[in-house]
Amino acid sequence: MKYGRREFINSLLGFGGIGGLASIFYPVFQFLIPPEITEAKVSSLKVGRVDEFPANSSKIVRFGRIPVILIRSDRDTFKALAATCTHLDCIVQYNQDRKQIICACHNGVYDLSGNNVSGPPPKPLTVYTVSIIDEQVVISEEKNIV
Amino acid sequence: MKLSSIPILIKILSLSLVCIFPMLLMGETEVNTCVDCHVENDLMPEFYLEEDVHQHAGMSCAGCHGGDPTAEDMDESMSEENGFVGIPEKQDIPAFCGKCHSNIEYMRVYQPRIPTDQESQYYTSAHGKKLYAGDERVAQCSSCHTAHGILPAKDTRSSVHPFNIPATCDQCHGDTKLMAGTGHGTNQLNDYAKSIHGVALLEKGDVGAPACNDCHGNHGAAPPGAESVSHICGSCHLNNFEYFKTSKMGQSSTSQEYHNCEQCHGNHAIMKPSDELLNFTESSLCMDCHSEDDAGYIASAIMYSHIRESDSLYQEAQLRMHDIQIKGMNDVDIQYMLKESKQNLIQLRTLVHTFDAQQVTQKSIEGKGFSQQAIELAQQEIKEFNGRRMGFGIATLAFVLLAIALYMKIKLIDKQKSNISS
Repeated sequence: MKYGRREFINSLLGFGGIGGLASIFYPVFQFLIPPEITEAKVSSLKVGRVDEFPANSSKIVRFGRIPVILIRSDRDTFKALAATCTHLDCIVQYNQDRKQIICACHNGVYDLSGNNVSGPPPKPLTVYTVSIIDEQVVISEEKNIV
Repeated sequence: MKLSSIPILIKILSLSLVCIFPMLLMGETEVNTCVDCHVENDLMPEFYLEEDVHQHAGMSCAGCHGGDPTAEDMDESMSEENGFVGIPEKQDIPAFCGKCHSNIEYMRVYQPRIPTDQESQYYTSAHGKKLYAGDERVAQCSSCHTAHGILPAKDTRSSVHPFNIPATCDQCHGDTKLMAGTGHGTNQLNDYAKSIHGVALLEKGDVGAPACNDCHGNHGAAPPGAESVSHICGSCHLNNFEYFKTSKMGQSSTSQEYHNCEQCHGNHAIMKPSDELLNFTESSLCMDCHSEDDAGYIASAIMYSHIRESDSLYQEAQLRMHDIQIKGMNDVDIQYMLKESKQNLIQLRTLVHTFDAQQVTQKSIEGKGFSQQAIELAQQEIKEFNGRRMGFGIATLAFVLLAIALYMKIKLIDKQKSNISS
């Protein structure tokens, strides 16, 4: 079969057309099926049902880029605090026996309100608001009331 | 009354009001002839401050020096009958201040939580013992607190505020003449000012950093003994102390009366510790006791190599994350991994105080795992970035080809049309 100028242009048109259409539809397709992890500013986070957190327990959750420690100190009290130690950024843990927050790196101690009690931490942990909405635990940033 | 005398009466009344009214307003009913006379004769004490904590509490000169501040006559106001004691001898100053400060009943009126053991603590201090023995060169209460311009310790202008304590101690401890023959150096402030503690307190204003009194005590100030060094450092560096105390090294160091922490880290000139402290070289401090190929030498070599490996892997992962951030890719997971890795590195450096190579090795492997995961995540992101770039290139090429093809097609159609018409 003779492959003349007309055929060449038609092939070129076909290739360019398909490529062009793919370039348009691929981003649309990606937009409709987003990746599992997205980078967006988080202002509140649903962390699970109330009964998923037994009394005197804790869980570290990802609040955007910030690790947050959610503590259920007793049946009715939930606290959420930034889980990054104010001394050298280590991740703090909840000590169930002492009912305190401990940093394992240099033995920094915080109370359940996030206040630095002893050890090297220079300032308290940032406090987050915990709300129970339809039996779901929701963490959100504290609003500064002026 | 004659009418002509009324203006004179008004003048007298006005003058009385002008003089008396401000005094009533200011409540100045107490007379202090000490200040009146000393001001008049330019004999006010050095560094006198009206904001002095004692004056602020309502005490007058007589509160410390005795006498009668209401008497107009100097001989009467400064008479022994009126309890005048004048300027105390240096040796008597602790008791002079202690007559109030050691009396809990008296002190609780002003400050319910104030300690009242300063005087007894002072006599246990190196200063107090020497003063008791008759050495008047040593510091007593007024050397640190001043005498007539005493401010609360929390006031940043106070000579005993943490920011000012190093300079207050240095007044004597930096004086070569005063320190001659005591066996003490005079370079403590210079050493301290460039140390990690000194920089934190004096340059960064971190009042959590220790000043002289945090290690030596204040009223009971004394050089820490061999055994107390690790306890003193351990009051802030809790984990290091716990690890060291139970370690073989810690136990033998105490039994041999080594100065524990100070032995490796120094005292006034404590610098940020480097991993090189673990690295055996000929000039290494460890070589004082250890020799090449003994158990300590091998343990140190293992710990050093693990820490260096962990650190370099962490640095590499950080560089990868930096690269990801420049490329605008998702770095959230990598950041979390690096947080774990950094935490592990901090704990690893603390764990060195166990002098247990096995524990350090285990911790290091854990930390290297986090860094490795971060590197792998970064590689995936780079792959994704390259894929996107390739896709963008292909799409651009497709559009360029489409444009060329369209141009050629139009030309071809034009040519066909002209052929038909001709």
